[in-house]
Amino acid sequence: MNWGEQIVLGLLLGGVYVAVGLGFSLVWGVLNIVNLAYGAMVMVGGYLTWLLFVHGGIDPFVGLPIDVVVLFGIGYALQYVVINRVVRAPFLYTFLITFGLDLIIVNALLLVFKPDFRSVTTWYSGAAFAVGPVLVPYIRLWSLLAAWALAAVMWWILNRTRTGDAIQAVGADRDAAQLVGISLRRTYALTFGLGAACAGVAGALIATFQAITPTAGEPYTLQAFVVVILGGLGRVSATVVGGMMFGLVEVLAQSAPHLGAGYQNAIAFGVLVLVLLLRPQGLLGRTL
Amino acid sequence: MAVETEPDEGHVAAVAVRTPAGARRERVLVVALTVALAALVVVPLLSTDQAQSAGLPEVVDRYAFRVATIVAMFVVISAAWNLIGGLAGYPAFGNVVYFGIGAYAVAVLVTRYHWSFAGGLVGAVIVPAAFAGLIGIPLLRLRGHYFAVASLGVAVAVGEVINNLDYFGGASGIFMPIVRSDLLFYYLMLGAALLAVAITWVVLRSRFGYGLIAIREDESAAAVMGVNTTLYKIAAYALSAALTGLAGGIYAQWNVFVNQDVAFNIDVSIDSILMALLGGIGTIWGPVLGAVVLEFLIQTFAGRGDLAVVTQIGLGLLLTVAVIFLPRGVVDFFGGRSSLGLTYVKRTLRESGV
Repeated sequence: MNWGEQIVLGLLLGGVYVAVGLGFSLVWGVLNIVNLAYGAMVMVGGYLTWLLFVHGGIDPFVGLPIDVVVLFGIGYALQYVVINRVVRAPFLYTFLITFGLDLIIVNALLLVFKPDFRSVTTWYSGAAFAVGPVLVPYIRLWSLLAAWALAAVMWWILNRTRTGDAIQAVGADRDAAQLVGISLRRTYALTFGLGAACAGVAGALIATFQAITPTAGEPYTLQAFVVVILGGLGRVSATVVGGMMFGLVEVLAQSAPHLGAGYQNAIAFGVLVLVLLLRPQGLLGRTL
Repeated sequence: MAVETEPDEGHVAAVAVRTPAGARRERVLVVALTVALAALVVVPLLSTDQAQSAGLPEVVDRYAFRVATIVAMFVVISAAWNLIGGLAGYPAFGNVVYFGIGAYAVAVLVTRYHWSFAGGLVGAVIVPAAFAGLIGIPLLRLRGHYFAVASLGVAVAVGEVINNLDYFGGASGIFMPIVRSDLLFYYLMLGAALLAVAITWVVLRSRFGYGLIAIREDESAAAVMGVNTTLYKIAAYALSAALTGLAGGIYAQWNVFVNQDVAFNIDVSIDSILMALLGGIGTIWGPVLGAVVLEFLIQTFAGRGDLAVVTQIGLGLLLTVAVIFLPRGVVDFFGGRSSLGLTYVKRTLRESGV
């Protein structure tokens, strides 16, 4: 067992979890919605990347802006037309409605793309460089950098633009935000759209190293949840730390004796329970 | 502490007010239920070989009462969920874990320890209840989203662990000796469904039930008023687990085979919640009505290949529409206490939308 290699692999995987966690955290923190369709939206991003690559010859990293724009549009429309209708209902209802959306999206993908495995194999997919004894695949490193770039952009939008101010205001106090003239419908739709855009980026990154199927997004919903709990709700920096930590934990736990890939969800859940019991506000979270 | 006198319409129909009209309605209800129950018990008997050879009319074919068995199973699971999710307001999304534990309890007890099926069923009630009592201690300290996802996580994790342990047959599952009698399983499920409804009825009229509703409406206030919230929540969760486990145990022997996919299918959890939601959360008859309606829809439109996929999309649309327009379920919609139709839908939208 090479610990150095495991740690590097864990950090690289962590990048993907950062991308996965960002959108989930934003929507949860501002709209108080746990989006069960998040994994399905990740796969929409994955399939879009695959379509662009196979039929348009567009590199998955070059195509990222297209993913962002399309997924933002889908998210904006979903929130504006559907979820805004129940956003003030008890959370069981928003939970169920996003599950309904999940069913619709996953099965629509099944109908269109069939359950076959699809993969995006670029000319540099197999290439790697060596850092001492550790081999680092280029594609994983670029995924990590892309995820950090996404985190930086999200931080900038939320903390340095008027749109971000509006989103934060709505998250802090819905009624007060409305009093100062912020449109709830529009801001909610914007927030959900941004969350969907993050899911799109995550999907694109995942498609570069994992074969995708319509149902392959499911685990990412639970993992996004764990990442957000681990880091703490409501801050970009917390999600970055949570994502990197979770990547590390998962890789290290899977290489432990007697445990294998078969325990992926059990590990995620174990981490979740430990954090909830020991430090419910997350590693970097504000006190609840 | 002032007691809220205005009934919280739609959430609970806990106590029927004893007006003459109410008493009349209750009598009609009792007669209708007795007739329905008698039909449920007698009609399948007409389909047996003996009855058929005696020249009696076959009212339903065997396929139909296999479907009826499934409906009864979902009545049990949905009513069981209603105890913790509807009454106590703790949205358990992973109750299928108790279905799975119940199923595996029967499978393991019958095949490894050569217990009788009846003995296995006792295990299918006790083991899930004990597990819920233990895991409930940390789990029920969480609320809202946290509880929902943590309970979902328990289901996924337990299913995965069982799938990886040789003791439970690993990924290849466990085969049980065949018990060839669809009629037996129909009556067992029907009995379990009646038990679940009866338990809901009793709970809704008891101190325990009022305590759970108090927890749902405001947990801190309930604690202040002297409700032992921890004990009540864990008891409700264990009761819910016991009933769900019973359904799982009966199903395991009926199906003859258990593995992770059969016993820990998350769709079972989601379908049962959807049923309670469609029928009316927190009511006695909501889960029953929801189970009958939804399972009928699923069976009618079930198919293979693309058709099955389209059915799932339809289910998703139904769920979305139901949450938006009928969040309190059909029992409330047709309950007579609220204005029907467009006004009702408009009010719902005004209350929960932006």
